[in-house]
Amino acid sequence: MNEHSLHVKVVTPNGVVFDYETATLVVLSTTGGEVGVMANHAPIISALKVSEVKIVDEANGVEERLAVSGGFAEFSSNVLTVVSDAAERAADIDVTRAESAKERAERRLAEESSVRDVERAQVALLRAVNRIHVATGK
Amino acid sequence: MAASLQDIQRRIASTKKTRQITSAMQMVSTAKLSQIQRHGGSYTTYANALHDVVAHLANAHINNVSGTLLEQRDVKKVGFLVISSDRGLVGGYNSTLLKGMMAVIEERQLTPDQVVILAVGGNASDFFKKRGFNVAYEYRGVSDVPTFNEVREIVKTVTTMYDNEVFDELTVAYQHFVSRIQNDLRLEKMLPVTTDDMEPTEEGGLKADYEMDPSPEQILGVVLPQYAESLVYGAILDAKTAEHAASANAMSSATDNAKEVINTLELQFNRARQSAITTEITEITGGMAALD
Repeated sequence: MNEHSLHVKVVTPNGVVFDYETATLVVLSTTGGEVGVMANHAPIISALKVSEVKIVDEANGVEERLAVSGGFAEFSSNVLTVVSDAAERAADIDVTRAESAKERAERRLAEESSVRDVERAQVALLRAVNRIHVATGK
Repeated sequence: MAASLQDIQRRIASTKKTRQITSAMQMVSTAKLSQIQRHGGSYTTYANALHDVVAHLANAHINNVSGTLLEQRDVKKVGFLVISSDRGLVGGYNSTLLKGMMAVIEERQLTPDQVVILAVGGNASDFFKKRGFNVAYEYRGVSDVPTFNEVREIVKTVTTMYDNEVFDELTVAYQHFVSRIQNDLRLEKMLPVTTDDMEPTEEGGLKADYEMDPSPEQILGVVLPQYAESLVYGAILDAKTAEHAASANAMSSATDNAKEVINTLELQFNRARQSAITTEITEITGGMAALD
């Protein structure tokens, strides 16, 4: 690791899903808006939206995108830890499954009446849309 | 000499079959145990990361913010999340747990209408229903190595019920895995989240002076539910680990017992066979003597 790169770890209950030592830029969608984190950034904790996390390594021409379902990111001493209850790399996302999850959520949104179920369906829809977006760029 | 030769033989055969089954079940449980232990290892990384952040926020004295999971309410109803197994054949796993639960309820002098039971696993659910407790939620069929996705439903229901004030305090009761031959009953108060006695994890915790984006209160709003969920998931994982260990144990002692039974039966069988032969010989010599 040189002084212009940072170590990125994405941690979920199922283990570390992504670990990359020489990233140059990480783009996060926090609840307050998009934040780009580069090496030697000030220590920060921020809450994430159900969104995409983009990790760029300019030196090696690597770009990796992950779909995270909320959670938060913590950055200190050049280590960025994303802690989320689910995260998937773009390449690992099963688009057909995400599509069917999206349809299911939309159907439930149309049918459900209780506030709680609607909220739940909205979250599910958000997740599905996010995964499709990360996987296909749509 | 009670049983006939054939009877004993039949019993030996059937006990041998039982032994085969129990020893197979033991091996299956042992395999599941090592599988879940591996999974538990990767979960620990996640739990520690969360723990560190919560501990850090707590040390920064962001405490007792109302409307979050830290808020202490007057306790009118006590929720118990009881994690038992669905099936039997796990030795004293369930009975110790349920006995311990009853003892706690008695000790705190709670009447059934002050208690809300959330049951994971059929055993706990049946037990408390039979005794007239309010079983507000039950979940059966947790898989052998539960993933977070799978138990998300349980975890979310628990936290939503707490938010909706179905209960004002949540204690999780489960068997904690100590070693392959020992489980301990654990009762942990998980909601409201208490940060008083939080120590940073072994890695030293977080020391930096953080910027909070958007605000510490909003960060808490995100981190605390996630933390509570991870605690509940951790308890379920731990309980499942203990269940596999208990099952492996119960099956190994069943196998040992079967071996003993077979030994005694074989001894009986040989004695019966010998005495049958002796009788035959006496009869033949008696017959010869009569001819002479």
